[in-house]
Amino acid sequence: MQAEYLTIALSKGTLLKPTVKMFNNVDLPTKGLDEDSRSMVFTYDDPPIKYIMCRPTDVPIYVEQGAADLGIVGKDVIMEQARDVFEMVDLKYGYCRFVVAVPAELGNIGIKDLNYKRVATKFPMVAEGFFRSHGLQVEVIKLHGNIELAPLMGLADIIVDIVSTGRTLKENNLVELLRIMDSTTRLICNRVSYRTKYEQIQPLIETMQNYTTGGNGDGNKAV
Amino acid sequence: MINRKIPRGLRDLLPNEVLIQREIEKKAAKLFSGYGYEEVITPTFEFLEVVETGAGRNIREELFLFTDREGGILSLRPEMTVAIARLAATHLQDAVYPQRFYYIANVFRHVQPHLAQYREFWQMGIELLGAGSAVADAEVISIAVKVLQNIGLDNFKISLNQIGIFNSLLDDSGMSFEQRDLIRRLVENKDLVELARVLDTLAIDDLLKETIAKLPILHGGLEVLKRMPYVEKNRHASEAVAELLKVYEALQPCGVTKHIVVDMGVLRGLDYYTGIVFEGYSPDLGYGLLGGGRYDNLMGLFGLPRPATGFALGMDRLALLLENQTAPLRYIIGGADWSAMIAKADELRSQGKIVEMDVEGSSKEELERKLQGRENCSLIFV
Repeated sequence: MQAEYLTIALSKGTLLKPTVKMFNNVDLPTKGLDEDSRSMVFTYDDPPIKYIMCRPTDVPIYVEQGAADLGIVGKDVIMEQARDVFEMVDLKYGYCRFVVAVPAELGNIGIKDLNYKRVATKFPMVAEGFFRSHGLQVEVIKLHGNIELAPLMGLADIIVDIVSTGRTLKENNLVELLRIMDSTTRLICNRVSYRTKYEQIQPLIETMQNYTTGGNGDGNKAV
Repeated sequence: MINRKIPRGLRDLLPNEVLIQREIEKKAAKLFSGYGYEEVITPTFEFLEVVETGAGRNIREELFLFTDREGGILSLRPEMTVAIARLAATHLQDAVYPQRFYYIANVFRHVQPHLAQYREFWQMGIELLGAGSAVADAEVISIAVKVLQNIGLDNFKISLNQIGIFNSLLDDSGMSFEQRDLIRRLVENKDLVELARVLDTLAIDDLLKETIAKLPILHGGLEVLKRMPYVEKNRHASEAVAELLKVYEALQPCGVTKHIVVDMGVLRGLDYYTGIVFEGYSPDLGYGLLGGGRYDNLMGLFGLPRPATGFALGMDRLALLLENQTAPLRYIIGGADWSAMIAKADELRSQGKIVEMDVEGSSKEELERKLQGRENCSLIFV
């Protein structure tokens, strides 16, 4: 019988480089794996693995629907989409954090002052969920990019966005008011694939856990 | 403008889809009857109290609720097990148990609809009431395997667990109700990252912590039962493991064990399960095909304490795996002489054939043109 391919959906962009590095370290094939290549599917026969190159926001749906068995994607994307997938390993790289940021001139305001403000964000689910859990109502304005622009132009009062260094905020005269949560890259898995391809997937998960925890063998231990 | 919309999450079934569904029903019903299960029908909606008594927690968000004219709150049924427990407790107080029932029913849940997840969907299932033995569980599980085989699937697995293992471990942890609920959700969704983080914040025995953290990935043959170090320390958990082994043993003569795997991450969403739980999966579909287990306390909630076990299969999901059923051969009869056409049609129908009459007085050429591209049709012109 022909071996079954394990299909892994990869996030294009900033996560790809550290992902390839991690694959090299856990002995997964990476020869010719390159997002500038014209192909979007990369097939290897030993071990039988296929990578598919996706926009990060598309990775969870590929995995949920079983078009890919596994996926590499940021927690920020997983949080926003709340797809029905298993989250197996914290790969630790690609760090960023969800924050609430406000124009610097607002100065010393607290979370209670944010009731009924207009919030610009690429992450309406996360924003809505965060404010609701604090008993606040906000008007969420979904944008697709350049969130920092919204308060400058008077489209919104505050923003919810992901930041890694915080430089973009500073350049746009915004300050971080609250940290909602941290995000790093995760290995996600299709519910059924985990059970039907267990022999291929479980060893891979253990290898990745060992790699991310520096090989102390206790991959499930949180930081 | 005529409104042709239908409510979100519902759908029409066209003849080829109904054909597949009826085929599944026929095969499953035949199998269930062969094991002595008898069909029952319960109302499409019940009082909310009945539905909630069974669920054991607040599931209102998932229910379609409305009020009757007396002000009572009604719920479209979200599943069938609770209704059958109520039915038995109402009508079969004095019956001799065990009783075996099967059902075919549409059920309703207010879920986020997507492929293979509709707001009205069809379930078939069996309930074995009044039998508490491991052998009873084995009967139900072996029927679950056989129903999938009879429908024509071969590549599938039934994941088996005993909910008592998980519950006893959590009993020892002294967690609050909310924490238990959270841990259960994380184990079930195999969210290893968040599970590790939450466990780290809890002040519980290290060995227990390690065992709980492992549950989502304990999947495979019976050997996984030996990979839970804490279980030996807990009498109830050990008993649950022993029961799981007993069921597995009882499954062996049924010839179905090649489809059975042990999976400590199968916990089932519903609160009424008390013992063995299981779910069926096929690699060809990203969603579960069937689920069930033992629910020894449910009938007692309706005043007739009896152990019970059963399962339900999602027919809409099975249908997705069985597409492209060929339609049976049908004869099309055309002609100018209506009486001759009738005679020919009746003759063929008496042989059990499917016969469609041309009722538009078409010529032979017209009929031939109409039938172009239609599969499995045979034209008779008299």
